Amino acid sequence: MDKILTVCPYCGCGCGLYLHVEDDRIVGVSPCINHPVNRGSLCVKGWNCYEFVHHPDRLKFPMIRKRGTLVRATWDEALDLIARRLTEIKRLYGSDSIGLLSSAKCTNEENYLMMKFARAVVGTNNIDHCARLCHSSTVGGLAAAFGSGAMTNSINEIINARVLFVIGSNTTEQHPMIAMHMLDAVDSGATLIVADPRKTQLAEFAHIHLQHRPGSDVALLMGLMNIIVTEGLVDIDFVKRRTENFDSFLDTLRTFDPAKVEAITGVKIQLLRRVARIYAMEKRSMLFYAMGITQHITGVDNVRALANLVMLTGHIGLPMSGINPLRGQNNVQGACDMGALPNVFSGYQTVTDPRARKKFQNTWRKKLNPKPGLTLMEMMDMAYVGRLKALYVMGENPLLSDPDLGHLEKAMERIDFVVVQDIFPNETMNYADVVLPAASFAEKDGTYTNTERRVQLLQRAISPPGEAKADWEIIVDLATRMGYRMHYRGTYEIMEEIALLTPSYGGILHHRLKEGFGLQWPCPTQDHPGTPYLHRKKFAKGLGTFITVDYIPPDEPPDKEYPFLLTTGRIYFHYHTGTMCRRTVVLEREEPECFVEINPEDADSLGIKNGWPVKVTSRRGSIEVKAKLTGKIPQGTVFIPFHYAEAAVNRLTNPAVDPKAKIPEYKVCAVRIEPLYKMPVVKTPKPPEVELESLRIEE
Amino acid sequence: MKREWILDKNHLSYWLRQLRNQMQLIAPMRDQVGDIVFKQVEHIHKIELNCPSLLPSVKEFFLPQYERLFEYSKKDDRVVDSISKTKRVIFGLRSCDVAALNTLDRFFIDEMPDPYYKSRRENSLLISIVCNNPDPTCFCIGLDTGPYLKQGFDIQLTDLGDRYFVQAESEWAISIIKNYHFLFSRPQKSDYDDQYEVLLSSKARFQKRISLQQSRQLIKSGRIKDSFWQGITSRCFECGGCVYQCPLCTCFTVVDRSYNDTVERARLWDSCLFKGFTRLAGGILPNEERIKRTKRWFFHKLIHYPDVLESFGCVGCGRCTVTCPGRIDMASVCMKLKSIALNGEEITDEG
Ligand code: SF4
Ligand code: SF4
Ligand code: SF4
Repeated sequence: MDKILTVCPYCGCGCGLYLHVEDDRIVGVSPCINHPVNRGSLCVKGWNCYEFVHHPDRLKFPMIRKRGTLVRATWDEALDLIARRLTEIKRLYGSDSIGLLSSAKCTNEENYLMMKFARAVVGTNNIDHCARLCHSSTVGGLAAAFGSGAMTNSINEIINARVLFVIGSNTTEQHPMIAMHMLDAVDSGATLIVADPRKTQLAEFAHIHLQHRPGSDVALLMGLMNIIVTEGLVDIDFVKRRTENFDSFLDTLRTFDPAKVEAITGVKIQLLRRVARIYAMEKRSMLFYAMGITQHITGVDNVRALANLVMLTGHIGLPMSGINPLRGQNNVQGACDMGALPNVFSGYQTVTDPRARKKFQNTWRKKLNPKPGLTLMEMMDMAYVGRLKALYVMGENPLLSDPDLGHLEKAMERIDFVVVQDIFPNETMNYADVVLPAASFAEKDGTYTNTERRVQLLQRAISPPGEAKADWEIIVDLATRMGYRMHYRGTYEIMEEIALLTPSYGGILHHRLKEGFGLQWPCPTQDHPGTPYLHRKKFAKGLGTFITVDYIPPDEPPDKEYPFLLTTGRIYFHYHTGTMCRRTVVLEREEPECFVEINPEDADSLGIKNGWPVKVTSRRGSIEVKAKLTGKIPQGTVFIPFHYAEAAVNRLTNPAVDPKAKIPEYKVCAVRIEPLYKMPVVKTPKPPEVELESLRIEE
Repeated sequence: MKREWILDKNHLSYWLRQLRNQMQLIAPMRDQVGDIVFKQVEHIHKIELNCPSLLPSVKEFFLPQYERLFEYSKKDDRVVDSISKTKRVIFGLRSCDVAALNTLDRFFIDEMPDPYYKSRRENSLLISIVCNNPDPTCFCIGLDTGPYLKQGFDIQLTDLGDRYFVQAESEWAISIIKNYHFLFSRPQKSDYDDQYEVLLSSKARFQKRISLQQSRQLIKSGRIKDSFWQGITSRCFECGGCVYQCPLCTCFTVVDRSYNDTVERARLWDSCLFKGFTRLAGGILPNEERIKRTKRWFFHKLIHYPDVLESFGCVGCGRCTVTCPGRIDMASVCMKLKSIALNGEEITDEG
């Protein structure tokens, strides 16, 4: 038996774990004891991450759709067909009629190659991935304020922090190993402030829990900042020396007096004051946020408000003080870093910048398109009107993860040519013309970048099933067939090219990563030790910018017809669209069915009991799920996880997007709930009234 | 029957090499990032002899995390049993693990023999090492499951600096030593003295003294209210790590997987800390409340195990202490219980 150190394929914590291998099969997992993130622990997904690898459903052969059904084909047939069709479509309709979706589940090397394939081979900037759906507001919001959109601190700093302010993140369930560090910090005396409409597990440990209304985050944050300013808690020195544009921001800020904020958010003024004082007065204050902030039409504004908050108090640029977006997918940070986005190359070098473009043109020896491409949602809109002719999907499942599925299904039908490259069959495959089997995390090497910017090495443990191949090998082969020769001896050579073109990854090479637990970017040179915290001494873009934001109510507030506010998210035992974890017995058994969380009072007034089937309807569709009564969710709000294809909550969600980041508003939409089953009215005779006291037995 | 010898340290690798020629050799190895893992040995000189940090448990070699039980071939309509008969020598495990295996034997072999476990157990030779330097998380000393064993081992080595004090108990073990008799010598009086000193000094190095007996009595006295357990439970991440890591936890589940031309039945680790573990037909979850499951885990180890198997369901290895992200492992819960006992008050709050 051999044990191979690699990285967990699930969430952005990026825990180190060993895969136990016997006869080319994985027979177990164990945590890495020295790893700075997980220190000998794993969450339930990590402990069970080995199982799906050998699941019988794994795709083993390429398939081509013939007369309506997908039939087995050889690699040559499949790749030649793709090369021919893509070239044809490119000739007939232009490069920009082709869209490509990269994946936050694939390695950095694969994302880099995918973006190279899109830009150099296909010739389009229409490349995007699911970060659009989770943290595009972060990338946009923080980049504008500081010049870099990533977690500013490291996970192992948390334990020494004095104040932890967590907003819009269900950390114990979504980033369990980060929550572990948070609770350790609380044990050693840190103050924990949680802002979340739901009473999450983390909120049980919070010294202060702010249950603001969903969608009112900007107001909440502006309220806090208003108090900080009026009470004189601003770090004036910091604001003067390191930031700009403070005065114009102040004008808007003044309009958010605490009384107004209380009215919008439903949070008491005293509570706001306490939080503002605690957060501002302690120096080692860390701010954390996740999807609860980003997935709104005001996502970018929410992020900007947070950025303003840390600049106002000077809580940035030091260890244990900063702003920390918790990234969801294991490699969503890396996929963004690698430029799997329509407007940037790797390292966030914009495609419109002639100098950056020239650099890439020289290395890739190909003329590049200067026009920023389409985002994921825009691609679908174009498809809907028939102007997107081909779509290449690598390791993603938009047909469960994207909002307003009904619209999406029609859009997919109208695309001429769809390629899906994945490890398991998924919903998107129903529209595929060619399906390519990919290798899973255990069957390839490469690097993942976790949420704290730590680039870590993935090591191949076993060989892929059937004829499946690593994603990067597929892209290399395809590019070559389309007349653009790509040649790499291994992923380490791809990394070398990344380092050459990407300043923040300049010193990150595989042989260096082998020596420890990876390197945190920016790591510009080969002797650079990596950067544990960002914006030291100066911001990435020089001065930090205060960006004025204003409160905009959610796009679709509840009304008479749709009286409940629906918010969506993940649950602990499952992961995203469930392609992996729903093929793991232990995980699937825990939550085999979709449910809607509803407050018992609300349920009562609708005549719903725990476990009863209900119908949830929005303006876009309806699904049937089981009711789950819980006091964790406030009245008037309901929660549905999005992992379940059979009850896809994204049939309900609102595709309204943030105007800047184009992130859809998953966290707020209006729904109506009806019980599908009504208790028959049975008349029971009233029991005789008994004085209970008289029944007591005296001891 | 216990026999004792002295083995010069310089001869150890030769001996292991000879054993490896006959059997698979498993030993603790340190990897590039400083972790210690048990795996098949390629380079004998790289075996970690003085593990200063925590060793993983060897449970996985007897109850693997994923074990194929049998395979049914659709084509020839035949069932092939996948029972493991690999001969193994596991070198460098610790007393707590040997003690745990002895208890597991009673569970897996005595009452209703489990052929898979039994075969793995019969085909493995255990060479355990006395802990000269227990980890800060260890508390086997209060349980008589370490740092050394008085009986119940195959071969037990005590590191005396330049030589090992070797004790062998089982027949297989004795015969293996006799095969290489030229490597082993008779212990002298001074060897016994040195060995005793090592044991004493090891005992003095324990940082944790935990009495499970005391916790058991406290729980049985009824003084511990549910609010105490609620406080413990609220920190549980439901990761299952405590169960997976504990050498004495045996939860498993069984699945059938249908491939193209075979069907495989496999057994894999599960955990009683998951609500689905006790899911009944119709989707009823008797242990849906988390507190029930936490209590169950502790009560099983502290109350039920001693009742039926006459030993605690814990050997004090401290592995749950390292792995539990919520810091509600056996040791820290028992410490909390102990502080209740010392303060002598009824506990209503977290403690
Ligand atoms: S916390 Fe995230 S990275 Fe760590 S084991 Fe769990 S899913 Fe994997
Ligand atoms: S309960 Fe904890 S300390 Fe006791 S044997 Fe199990 S893992 Fe070791
Ligand atoms: S290791 Fe700790 S957190 Fe994980 S299941 Fe066990 S008690 Fe709960």
